[in-house]
Amino acid sequence: MGLEKVGAMPRWLVMTIVVILMAIPLIHPLGILPAISESTTDFYNAIDQLKPGDVVLFDIGFGSGGYPTLGPAAVAILRHCFSKDLKIVIMATQQEGTVIYPLLMDKVKPEEVYGAKYGEDYVFLGFITGVQTAMAAVLGDLHSATPKDYFGTPIENIPMLADIKGADDIDVVVYLTTAGEVAEGWVYQAYSRYNKVTCGGWLSMMTPSLKPYYDTGALAGMLDGIRGAAEYEKLIGQPGDAMKTTDVLNLTQVWVLILVILGNIAYFAVRGKEGS
Amino acid sequence: MISTDISVWIAAFFTIAATSYVFKDNIIFKFAEYTFIGVAAGHALVMGFENIKKYGWSHLVAGEYIYVIPFIVGILMDYRYHPKYYWLYRYGIAFLVGQGIGLSMRGMVHTDFIKQIAATAGPLTAETALGTFNAIIIFILTITCLTHFIFTIRQVHIGTVSWLPKIGRYGMLLAFGAAFGNTVMTRFSQYQGRMLFLLRDWLGIAAP
Repeated sequence: MGLEKVGAMPRWLVMTIVVILMAIPLIHPLGILPAISESTTDFYNAIDQLKPGDVVLFDIGFGSGGYPTLGPAAVAILRHCFSKDLKIVIMATQQEGTVIYPLLMDKVKPEEVYGAKYGEDYVFLGFITGVQTAMAAVLGDLHSATPKDYFGTPIENIPMLADIKGADDIDVVVYLTTAGEVAEGWVYQAYSRYNKVTCGGWLSMMTPSLKPYYDTGALAGMLDGIRGAAEYEKLIGQPGDAMKTTDVLNLTQVWVLILVILGNIAYFAVRGKEGS
Repeated sequence: MISTDISVWIAAFFTIAATSYVFKDNIIFKFAEYTFIGVAAGHALVMGFENIKKYGWSHLVAGEYIYVIPFIVGILMDYRYHPKYYWLYRYGIAFLVGQGIGLSMRGMVHTDFIKQIAATAGPLTAETALGTFNAIIIFILTITCLTHFIFTIRQVHIGTVSWLPKIGRYGMLLAFGAAFGNTVMTRFSQYQGRMLFLLRDWLGIAAP
């Protein structure tokens, strides 16, 4: 096979090797633990320094497409929050957030594991339309923004919300999202407008454009995709789905590197042939 | 042990069906694709209806008549499909654009402009050697990238200082490479979530 043919490697072969490389460490874990980055540590510390009863506003800004990456991060953060007896106001700025909420709660099990009670320790407001409009409304006047929670209970009948009426009553804003407008929106509305401690997590591919918010201090902490989720799981001492995938990512990234090198070799081989 | 839960089997079927596109476009993939679109559209429709009810109608029937304005704006948006009065939808769009810009402008100026410039214009020396190196790289690439976008002075690109925009261009190419690497990592991390589901939750052969 000529070198130029390497560049025309069939798609099914590339993907089959990816599947094999993913399956091996999932069946037989290699046990490579992630090194914890400063941004994840800062995220963890922003939650960890809160006192019992402090309020966290948690936004599920992703749907089923982002669940494999951001689901483990959400589970780890919620476990951390519940373990510290924080009051958690959960909302969704993406429509499918309402579908993701029960998946997260099935894993966190707030009642069984932490003895938390819905309405007293945590509440789900559901999807609030408008992205930045929703953020501004919730932070400005939560009771007017959402007359009922997701399950139809009037806000005034939810005990924990009696003293949570807006940004002044919220200690930390946490969001996980696949949408750039959500990631930027919380920075504009929570940090810039109300100077709230704001922590964000997103897909790795969004990091180059959003990391400057962390670098400039607008975000107190940052979770970089599944890697950030694995680091957070390690910090709270509860290995979950993200840590299982560390080996997978290591192996598949090596495969991508090999493909990039092969692609370049093929490119120069073709160019050399055309030149001669 | 293989799962006996029918919902897990359905999810496994659609995961494999969606992945089958890698080999060839086929009818199983199309079925999965159309099913997803149908479910997503149905969910969006229900959520949209719920939003109107929860955030608009409930206020209106409670006597807050100011909420009639969003309804009017919403109805105007639907005129987009009217052959004669389609221009009315522009008022709805104008309302949305004005409101959106007004909401984000304040935060945007603070975090995207002032804070970014302040962070970039920091000292060139840091506590660690790596920090100093980073600061110098940021300084050089900020200046050279900006020169790349000076189009009104042609000499910048062809004169004796043409190496400035060239360095900027290489800097941007490095950034695009980093962005591509992150994109690949994201796609794999999304797919490995499904692999974990197939091997652990469906087939029961992955480590618990």
